[in-house]
Amino acid sequence: MMRPDLRDPRLVLLTLAMLSLVAAFVAPKITVRRPSFDLLAVVDITGSMNVRDYAASGRPISRLDAVKAALRAMLAEMPCPSHVGLGVFSERKTFLLFEPIDVCRDFAPLEASIEALDWRMAWEGDSRVSAGLFGAIEMARRLNSDLLFFTDGQEAPPLPARGAPTFDGRGGELRGLIVGVGGYELSPIPKFDDRGREIGFLGVDDVPHESRFGLPPEGAERREGYNARNAPFGAAAAVGVEHLSSVKEDYLRSLAEKTGLAYAHLEDGKSLWTDYAAIASARPREAAFDLRPFFGAAAALSTFFAAAGPSLARALAEMRRAALTRHPQPGRSK
Amino acid sequence: MNALGFDHIEALFLAPLALIPLLRSVLRENTIPSLLSVPADSLSAVAGGFLKLGGVIAIGASLFGAAGPHIAGAEQERFAEGAQLVMLIDRSGSMNETFAGRTPSGGEESKAAAAKRILKRFVEARRHDLVGVAAFSTAPMLVTPISDHLDSTKAAIDAIDRPGLDYTNIARGLAMALSMFKTSEADLSRAVLLISDGAGVIDPKLRDDLKAEFRKTNVSLYWLFLRTEGSRGIADIAAEDDESPQAAPERHLDLFFRSLGVPYRGFEAESAEATEEALKQIDRLERHPVHYVEKMPRTDLGAWAFALAFVATSLLVVAKLAEVGLGVKGGAR
Repeated sequence: MMRPDLRDPRLVLLTLAMLSLVAAFVAPKITVRRPSFDLLAVVDITGSMNVRDYAASGRPISRLDAVKAALRAMLAEMPCPSHVGLGVFSERKTFLLFEPIDVCRDFAPLEASIEALDWRMAWEGDSRVSAGLFGAIEMARRLNSDLLFFTDGQEAPPLPARGAPTFDGRGGELRGLIVGVGGYELSPIPKFDDRGREIGFLGVDDVPHESRFGLPPEGAERREGYNARNAPFGAAAAVGVEHLSSVKEDYLRSLAEKTGLAYAHLEDGKSLWTDYAAIASARPREAAFDLRPFFGAAAALSTFFAAAGPSLARALAEMRRAALTRHPQPGRSK
Repeated sequence: MNALGFDHIEALFLAPLALIPLLRSVLRENTIPSLLSVPADSLSAVAGGFLKLGGVIAIGASLFGAAGPHIAGAEQERFAEGAQLVMLIDRSGSMNETFAGRTPSGGEESKAAAAKRILKRFVEARRHDLVGVAAFSTAPMLVTPISDHLDSTKAAIDAIDRPGLDYTNIARGLAMALSMFKTSEADLSRAVLLISDGAGVIDPKLRDDLKAEFRKTNVSLYWLFLRTEGSRGIADIAAEDDESPQAAPERHLDLFFRSLGVPYRGFEAESAEATEEALKQIDRLERHPVHYVEKMPRTDLGAWAFALAFVATSLLVVAKLAEVGLGVKGGAR
């Protein structure tokens, strides 16, 4: 017989290998739509973020450092065409450092900018979290990106008796996460001098413990020294725990509810990423996808089986026969 | 020569598979009573060897191609004209007003918006610059470090026409800008481009520190003063006997900069056009040879690997098509 056997599986496999290799030349890349994320990260840089109630490798680190570390780790997790912008919050404003940039291509400057976040950037000592959050929401909406707002929720000075200001925007218009930063136990807040050197911790007398703006809270008339005109808040200075700080989760949750954002507590980069991914708005973006590894592997495997296939098949049959002779199955003849 | 790199090194884990053609042929086996019945034939031996080799190459080259081989792009040091620049941008509230000192309305452009437009064009035209951005109002802020990432620089410039903050504290801003330069690169041409619409009084205590810092880092300074119409300018001398920094902060800041002992130019711009003109001058002045590293595109080796694999596989297919059975019909496989 002088004609090649076209039904020989080995010939079929070799032809398949050839076709795969041709495909590797013809269609090396396709574009696929992959989900990516755009987000604006706004970090609270007010004084209470200096509280050291996180730990890294056995040493206490400040809330701000914990945020930086988590943010950096999270960026590494994000899929490639994602964009991240950075802003800081202090006083009552959110200040945009830069608009969202590509996480992969511009990772180095992005990382360096996060590393450079410092409480010394703060332009004023106040911390009106709700005002900053509402500003950040507006900013993220304009940038058409999600929002990650890192804060410990410590309003300084404390909110007036009527509670937080109302949110004017529409709730749920923007997706995002309020990330509560800080431990659940009260911790002392570091105190710095004019030149930025740490000089101990804030004492009871260093901070106001009650807002005396607006109307006095209910029951103020029962306070000592109350006078409707001259001392509507009572005569004694309020004493509280505003010089200590813990994450104000209840308050942040209420803010999240008001604004339609989600709430998560900051643990580490991985959990931050999962918390964010659960609520993020994925934006499909075109991304190049290299098919050649698949074609190449397919060609290699086809050729491999063309060479080894018959031997493998024989070995397999041999094994089965051996197994059957060792354990002959009743009612079945070979 | 640069190192070989792989995108998908996993594919190479299958490399042992390439040895199988040495042991097993892709051709049919024939049952022949004895090999001795076939005369020794060197041509056949060579052909057999080729086929074995062809099999090894077919599998090996396919896997090699699948691994995404490439030679990393060489980093070539080049010389061009440019500089290391830090843009120190005033983000105080008044930057959001027009040059006429009003809140922009209609088609009017705020000082910040004009600066944004013109600065973006500036960095786009000067691709060999390494640019960093810092902002300041009451406190200095590092926005993006000195880098060659044009996109991040532009994103930082894009942010400058957002509502600004409180005051203009130039001294701390300058200290921040100087700290962004690495001391190890003192031989490069380096400059701080200060863009502000107001001056401030620099604390006498900080003056000496700043002066020392400027001399140490040897960074030249350009001050682009976006002057609001009707306000005092750099050259205006205050009323005779009121020669204090508080009365004419612009003039005294200019005098202070002149006393720094580093190359300094002050530009006063009262409109967007003047701002552009000033930046053109800076562009001309800051043209020094800088060396920068350019990454050459990498060389992809995948196509070569697949071509080789294709030739080898074709050889096997040809051999397969040419094979002839011996003996009985449908001879043993």
